[in-house]
Amino acid sequence: MEEIRIASETAQYIVIRLGQEQYGIDIRYIDNIVRMQHITRVPKLAEYLKGVINLRGEVIPIMSLRLKMGLPADEVTKSARIIIVKLEQYGTIGMIVDEVREVVTLDLETQVEKMAYDKDDKNNFIQGVGKYEGGLISLLDLNAVAQEK
Amino acid sequence: MDVSQYLEIFLDETTEHLQNLNTQILELEQDSENMDTINEIFRAAHSLKGMAGTMGYKRMQTLTHDMENVFSEVRNGSIKVKANMIDILFQCLDALEEYTANIREAGDEGTNDNEPLIKMLNDILKEKAGEGSAAGKGEQAKPADESDGRKWLEINLNSTDKMVIGEAQKQGKMVYGATIKVQESCLLKAARAFLVFKAVEELGEIIVSSPSAQDIEDERFDLDFSLILITEASVDKVIAAISNVSEIESVKAEAIDLSVMKLDDESREAEEHKESMHKEAEKSDAGTAVTPAAVQAPQAQTAAPAAKQSAAVKQSGGKPVVNRTVRVDIEKLDVLMNLVSELIIAKNSLVAASEATMVQNGGAAQSGINEQIEYLESVTTNLHESVMKVRMVPIESVVNKFPRMIRDLTKKLDKKMELYMSGEETELDRTVVDEIGDPLMHLLRNSADHGLESAEVRAQRGKPEVGSIWLDAYQDGNNVVIEVRDDGNGIDTESVKRKAIERGQITPEQALNMSEKEIIDLLFLPSFSTAEKVTDVSGRGVGLDVVKSKIEALSGEVEVKSRLGEGSTWIIRLPLTLAIIQALMVEVGGEKYAISLGSIQTIEDVMPEDIKLVQNKEVIHLRGSVIPLIRLDKELDVTSTRKPEENMTVIIVKKGDKTAGFVVDELQGQQEIVIKSMGKYIDNKCRLISGATILGDGEVALILDANALI
Repeated sequence: MEEIRIASETAQYIVIRLGQEQYGIDIRYIDNIVRMQHITRVPKLAEYLKGVINLRGEVIPIMSLRLKMGLPADEVTKSARIIIVKLEQYGTIGMIVDEVREVVTLDLETQVEKMAYDKDDKNNFIQGVGKYEGGLISLLDLNAVAQEK
Repeated sequence: MDVSQYLEIFLDETTEHLQNLNTQILELEQDSENMDTINEIFRAAHSLKGMAGTMGYKRMQTLTHDMENVFSEVRNGSIKVKANMIDILFQCLDALEEYTANIREAGDEGTNDNEPLIKMLNDILKEKAGEGSAAGKGEQAKPADESDGRKWLEINLNSTDKMVIGEAQKQGKMVYGATIKVQESCLLKAARAFLVFKAVEELGEIIVSSPSAQDIEDERFDLDFSLILITEASVDKVIAAISNVSEIESVKAEAIDLSVMKLDDESREAEEHKESMHKEAEKSDAGTAVTPAAVQAPQAQTAAPAAKQSAAVKQSGGKPVVNRTVRVDIEKLDVLMNLVSELIIAKNSLVAASEATMVQNGGAAQSGINEQIEYLESVTTNLHESVMKVRMVPIESVVNKFPRMIRDLTKKLDKKMELYMSGEETELDRTVVDEIGDPLMHLLRNSADHGLESAEVRAQRGKPEVGSIWLDAYQDGNNVVIEVRDDGNGIDTESVKRKAIERGQITPEQALNMSEKEIIDLLFLPSFSTAEKVTDVSGRGVGLDVVKSKIEALSGEVEVKSRLGEGSTWIIRLPLTLAIIQALMVEVGGEKYAISLGSIQTIEDVMPEDIKLVQNKEVIHLRGSVIPLIRLDKELDVTSTRKPEENMTVIIVKKGDKTAGFVVDELQGQQEIVIKSMGKYIDNKCRLISGATILGDGEVALILDANALI
């Protein structure tokens, strides 16, 4: 019991950038990070769903985090990446981000502030806020991001 | 012991045995004297019992044990097969299926003891006792006559019991057999028996009783019951103790001689099964030369030997040798299939690369590579075919249960009917076979209930009294066709129309203009039923729409042909495989799409001025038929790369009886493509796309769903 408690006190996040803001994605959900590549458009989908890519023989749906979060459309730059996440409920999804910065380890008790939020709120994708070296990282709730609202 | 790892095998084999029993008992009904069938039934019941025992499913074991007893008597010729017996046996099979289903779902056989069934089985056995002795045959019956009331001689000892008795004798204890007869006037036989048991247990230990302690407790015995007990007390003392119980008419007891006692079939069996079935045996074994480890090892394999053994029995019975097969987890085959798919993709990219270099080099010095690539192509195609074949199973496994179903329906609906099946050996992909059972069952029930008329009506119409239903399966090119046909009433389109109007699904005006075909299609609407009354069998309006959606989910089609008064035919057409198809690659607005070659009729070059407007929709005239045009660029929200005045390439696609022309920009040729899911997240979100595939250059192309587009 003791060990499990200690282990759960910290969590690792991958820090990504979207526009001017920093977001953190729980590393346990991340399957892979790949460079931007050609995305095959799938017709009749929501705007934020960009299409599908081939990831080593698997066809993976790709979404634009910017569009999903109501930011202006992506400008594809050299630093853009696709983060492949695996979610229990939604399967594997690729999410386009502007840049991948670093991996941080946050102490859940001292460095993370949980945010109480309304589950039905359409625009809330944030689970909490992490404080790291003076900066703030918004911690993404991936299930809320993937959910269709 | 932990048997959970054998659960899968157990379930598989149980299902097989049950199916086998169903088929054989049906045969027995037709030909009650066929020894081969009887032997086969006995073996299957026997294996089932062994397996259930091994896995610790006591209730299942008890039921199969009693069934086996009945079969054993049938085999000995001391019971004749009767109609009511067949019914009981079928009920037993249903009960066993229920156990199996429970085990499959909950890992537990459930709590239904099925006592009425067991009682009926025992009744059959009792009947035999009378008949058997009169006829002078029936091994078991004889001792009863000779033993002048010493019925314990009839008790069958299994090896464990025998061992315990031997052990006791070694220790100088006495082993007695006793038969106790209760007074005829006794009201609470079970209570008396209980007192007898109690009295005896004060003196020693009861090893076996006949009938079993459970049966005695439930009062399932006539007037007498027998015991075998181990005690240190004298015979007289035992008799006295038992006689002390009131309402006991007589007691007979004697020391027994092991050699006189018979070992039942089961105990010979138990020699093989004992490690698992009788843990006590294990203990005594361990005491002798056999080490526990050695006992453990065979134990681990008991699930398998059960099967092996039945195979061995089969051979010794002079039956044809069993197929040489390996049972493989379908997941392993899926992995293999995926790898083959990858290989095909890799091969495709090699082909693409070689073509590209060929263009650069002007075709020189390439023939060597080309040859190799062609060779690779043929190998991958063969490999693909072989893997596909491995996944193919005969539809037999599904259709086998139908004769039984029709038999039950005959009784339930009180209509005479006969099911004729052909092509059971036709093979389909395993995944398809698993799904096809329910739709077929619906169609058969439908034919039996709605299709076939009652005997009187049939007589009036001059049809044979017994209705016929046919189930025919055959391969047709890249499809498998399954037809369900009956010589019944056919579909009454007028009545369908009326029903649809009543339900407000169509207006009377619409009804006037509907073709026969369109009316029949109404049947496939959800919750549509023309049955005047809702029966247990069908008529609840769930069915045909489910059939249709299930078949379409398997990329198949359903078609109906019907002639009023003569019967109807339901035709199901299924693709042989779901994973890899031949497709035509097209380009629309710079994007690549695949269209399944199976649905493509022709490809036409159409001039813009040939397009006509009908009800404001674009159509073309083609060899006498009017075909609506579907501009894929509009459907797919892209802009065509062709100018409006240019000629158009139109792909004529046929799905079912609907035809349409797809307007595309470019044709890219035919290709073998591997169908992939687009991922859980967006699968099914776009109706027009049925899946994706990965092209030779690693890019993803989408597969158009011609059905949805038309």
